Amino acid sequence: MSHELQELLDAVVAQATAGEGVEAYGLDQTETTVRAFDGEVESLSSARTRGVGIRVLRDHRMGYAYTADLTEAALAAALQAARENADAASPDDANGLPDAASVQDLPGLAADGFAEFAVEDKVRLAITMEQAVRAVGGDVRGVDSAVYSDGDTTAAIASTNGVRAAFQRTDAFVYTEVLAERDGATTAAYGLDVARHPADLDVKAAAAEGVQRATRLLGATKPESQKLLVVLDPFATASLLGVLAGALSAEAAQKGRSLFADKVGEQVGSAQVTLVDDGRLMAGLAASPWDGEGVPTGRTELINAGVLQGFLHNTYTGRRGGTASTGNASRAGFMSPPGLAPTNLFLQPGALDEAALLARAGNAFYCQQIMGVHSGANPISGDISVGVAGLMIRDGQLAEPVREATIGGSLTGMLQGVLEVGSELRFLPFGGGMGGALVLVDGFQLSGT
Amino acid sequence: MTAFTLDDGDVRAVLEAALATGGEFAEIYAEDRRARNMRLDDGRVEDVVSGVDRGAGIRVVAGRRTTYAYTNVLTRDALIDAARTAAAGLPGAAGAEVQDLTERQPPVRHLPRLDPAAADRAALVDIVRRAEDAARSVDAAVRQVTVMYADVRQSVFLANSEGHRSHEERVRTRLVANAVAARGDNIQTGYEGPGASQGHELFDAHPPEQVGRLAAERAVLMLDARPAPSGEFTVVLAPGSGGVLFHEACGHGMEADIVAKNASVYAGRRGDTIGTSILTGVDDATVAGHWGSFGFDDEGTPAQRTVLFENGVCTDYMSDRLRAAELGIPRSGNARRQSYAHLPIPRMTNSFILPGTDDPAEILKGVKRGVYCESLGGGQVDPASGDFVFGVAVGHWVEDGELAYPVRGANLVGDGPNVLAAIDALGTDFDVRQGICGKDGQSVPAGLGNPTVRIARITVGGTG
Repeated sequence: MSHELQELLDAVVAQATAGEGVEAYGLDQTETTVRAFDGEVESLSSARTRGVGIRVLRDHRMGYAYTADLTEAALAAALQAARENADAASPDDANGLPDAASVQDLPGLAADGFAEFAVEDKVRLAITMEQAVRAVGGDVRGVDSAVYSDGDTTAAIASTNGVRAAFQRTDAFVYTEVLAERDGATTAAYGLDVARHPADLDVKAAAAEGVQRATRLLGATKPESQKLLVVLDPFATASLLGVLAGALSAEAAQKGRSLFADKVGEQVGSAQVTLVDDGRLMAGLAASPWDGEGVPTGRTELINAGVLQGFLHNTYTGRRGGTASTGNASRAGFMSPPGLAPTNLFLQPGALDEAALLARAGNAFYCQQIMGVHSGANPISGDISVGVAGLMIRDGQLAEPVREATIGGSLTGMLQGVLEVGSELRFLPFGGGMGGALVLVDGFQLSGT
Repeated sequence: MTAFTLDDGDVRAVLEAALATGGEFAEIYAEDRRARNMRLDDGRVEDVVSGVDRGAGIRVVAGRRTTYAYTNVLTRDALIDAARTAAAGLPGAAGAEVQDLTERQPPVRHLPRLDPAAADRAALVDIVRRAEDAARSVDAAVRQVTVMYADVRQSVFLANSEGHRSHEERVRTRLVANAVAARGDNIQTGYEGPGASQGHELFDAHPPEQVGRLAAERAVLMLDARPAPSGEFTVVLAPGSGGVLFHEACGHGMEADIVAKNASVYAGRRGDTIGTSILTGVDDATVAGHWGSFGFDDEGTPAQRTVLFENGVCTDYMSDRLRAAELGIPRSGNARRQSYAHLPIPRMTNSFILPGTDDPAEILKGVKRGVYCESLGGGQVDPASGDFVFGVAVGHWVEDGELAYPVRGANLVGDGPNVLAAIDALGTDFDVRQGICGKDGQSVPAGLGNPTVRIARITVGGTG
């Protein structure tokens, strides 16, 4: 699959004329999604899509064109369209294609035997998970959704600068949103599991996680407003990292839309905060050997022991900022030119496991769920005001549930207030590859609404 | 260009493979979509993107179960593979028979007069530059101008096991300008974004200069705006501006999937008088060249005009194949999908409040104290209750029938059924706007339209 795609891209690049830069990026993907309900398949969707996107650089002008039709004539037409698009664009000295660099493969990124796993078995995984939730009974009402989803992606790239690479990646995940009900009040929570091969998914564990998280919120009441220590659970941490990522993009910094602009070298967090983006971390869902422009991915320390080290770059922001790309060019598919995004972003784990971290917290709020993070956490101003649900921690133990509450503070205050990062790191499939961990934070205000 | 199509023999083989395991209905939706986009930001033409996307989705329905497989490889083998994949979700014996295909003719065609493909990139650069220049020349306070041009040609092929086959070309063109005006710390934005199921004849009615100028004028006007007062007032919606409110607060609740789930305030209310007797509201995919128009919906049902409210009475819901069967109502031709990668669901096309008999000038004169809305911004609606909140993007305070001064920070707060009942005047004028409607993760173009509308009383949430 990758060989065939690579040859198509080589043929496009070979058509470049003198003085012109050409880059061809190709994708070939298969995907399957199964939704189960009441012990049956509600819907099953599966797909194979492929396409090529071409960038042309002429006289500092960049143009982009794409095609899902991979015939020779269609690819030639796309190349010509990219040229004409470049000619219509304004020149910018920072426009450029990256130079070739040696790329190291990531063995195991594509699971052996992935393609042989039958659709019927995928259906069974979704149904088994849904049934495992319903079998609990009692307060557990059932699922809002029980979904199996997977993807097998081959990406390839070639350019007139000598970039030439391909990789294949597989991933599979299951998630269920469990509904529980007591005294007319409904709670909902997710359980999930992720793997490179569907056979490695533990659907019973995903079901049990959703059940545990939904049922432990039953009977929740509004808390008293107070300033107290907060333990962010892995899901909450992952969603807040997604907001932080927006402020750590060089594009945001260069356009004056980041609260961290001009803060490199300054203490922006506590000594416990070491924030890392690592596109080569195999445990992370966004692992890939190279980024959306063929630049090798790597490990970028954005914050080290609280001190801001720098920003995430693609080739354009690197050239504009007089520095190198960090391998963070992103692709939203073959129809979009390269953008800029984190890969696997995570806080360096600390020493305490869950029991030790809760003991250290003593009396605190365990934040299980964050609502309205997109409108309530602003990456430009850094203000955070989000709805939360969770449990009180009393004497180091999870105690009564809490709902209809908000926590307020700021991104900078949160980073400064980190007291401990838990020892267990778990990558979650939302917002790219955000690393979930327990984080004990001082400085939040909990408000009952 | 020859029409985008699939061979009848291939289609039959694919539909038979799709029905091999017990499906009652199978369908192929295939499309070829050619799009061009250009973005001008801060004086520079930045993103110039064009391309071709194509693919096909095969749907199989058995009872309430739906399976779907899509691919953008359009060979016979790849399509049969996709059909088998879809069928595999419905294990059982052979299902319905595939009927012989007969071409359906659309009730209306929306052909562009000036094909956008005839305009080269230099012509497109000229269009965005003209809009930008006009915006910048409005006032020294104009700080930033962004202009986006887009055209798309979507060729749709549909065939199903009931023997229906259709072809359609859909061309759309749009130009959007955003302007930022600033005076000290006071920063305001303005917007204008006409679009149509047309080619470049769009610019006869909406010259690029006018698009840029209107966006800039709105931003500059709002620099002088005062905080809006709060309370219950009479509100007048300018032609075009109220369509989004009708769409969100009244239209969505008339979509058959929401009705079928009993999640709509209009469920079970057909035949009930809900609105004022002068109100008639329709959804109409047949209006020539409008933003949400088409010849066939996305499961091949011919475009129709559906009356949602007639003289205030709740009349017909908007349906697709599945929900029409579930509710026992006719198919209204409202099945739409974002692309071949999506299942069809009931959606609005062009939703309009129809003009009335009142003189627009007299409508305003009759307002003692209130708000005149030139354009509404974003809103939130709960379809179960019809409750909504809409921001007034450009508004004026009205005193004794005259526009007194521009206002900002105003919200209209209410619910769909009560607003429909509170309309006490409808103008003889009419205008449209264009939106992109999102539902269940799918975005489609939606036309909006209304005459001058007077709402006798509605809550205005202001900051003054």
